[in-house]
Amino acid sequence: MIFLTVGTQFPFDRLVRAVDRMIDDGLISETLFAQIGESSYKPRNFESAASLEKRVFDNYVKQASSIIGHAGMGTISTAMQYDKALLVMPRLKKYGEVVNDHQVAIARRFEKLGYLLAAYQAEELPEKIRLLRTFVPRKRLAQPELVAERITRFLKELTAKDKKG
Amino acid sequence: MVRSAENLRICLVASAGGHASQLLELSESWRGIHTFCITTTSAVREKFSKYGRVYIAGECNREHLLRVILVLLRCARIVFRERPDVVISTGAAVGCIACYLGKLLGARVIWVDSITNVERLSLSGRLVRYIADLFLVQWPELAEHYRNVEYVGAVV
Repeated sequence: MIFLTVGTQFPFDRLVRAVDRMIDDGLISETLFAQIGESSYKPRNFESAASLEKRVFDNYVKQASSIIGHAGMGTISTAMQYDKALLVMPRLKKYGEVVNDHQVAIARRFEKLGYLLAAYQAEELPEKIRLLRTFVPRKRLAQPELVAERITRFLKELTAKDKKG
Repeated sequence: MVRSAENLRICLVASAGGHASQLLELSESWRGIHTFCITTTSAVREKFSKYGRVYIAGECNREHLLRVILVLLRCARIVFRERPDVVISTGAAVGCIACYLGKLLGARVIWVDSITNVERLSLSGRLVRYIADLFLVQWPELAEHYRNVEYVGAVV
């Protein structure tokens, strides 16, 4: 099963439509399930939900052989967490899909580091879908505990200073 | 003023979505400390509810000045009432506003710029950098590029 997700906040018809069309063209043969948010486009070839609870969402990610998504951090970090092959297409400001082009920058950086595949236009999707089948993502190590420790140290120093003063 | 970490009051502030998720990844740092939260919509109230009282300030961004003013006024009421010793934020606009208000009342400011800011700091981050007491980024290159900015790791 391939899991397609575009987040829940804003529609991303361009990606949902492109994936639907690839199934028409026989470029995707696996079953597919999608979280499509408030997309106005209704896919013909696969089941979808507007939004999924976090737990259900994670379950789809876990079960999926690979994931196609927008380049949102929720999508990226969940896919990384479960070591899944991920293909992203960034939302673009020029189509009104997002307020700025930060998703392009994220996609480029994560792609360069070997964490995911990226298609910057719908036309690049068929080629990238082909690569996705055998793509092995580099393992990503997030370290929230180091950041939390740094904050803890700051708070301790702060209260130690207060005690002296 | 004698304070131990346990009787600090910390304001946790982040917009709904990725900003909120990244902030809550850091919950270990405020364990056992009194906290309250400010976020943008009641849709994520639940997410924050473990960490004290949750205030909803509304959505705003730089393109809608009236909404910015509204959120600023709401945050001002909250911050005056709660008098935090420390404000911790991952952004975005609401975080920037709460950091400035907190600073005005003498709070220390901790900013963790979102992972999505890959090539340069967020606009909110660039503004908060002037007043932040601890400013963390999630890409090592950014720490090299800006002064008084630290990289210790990525939150997500």
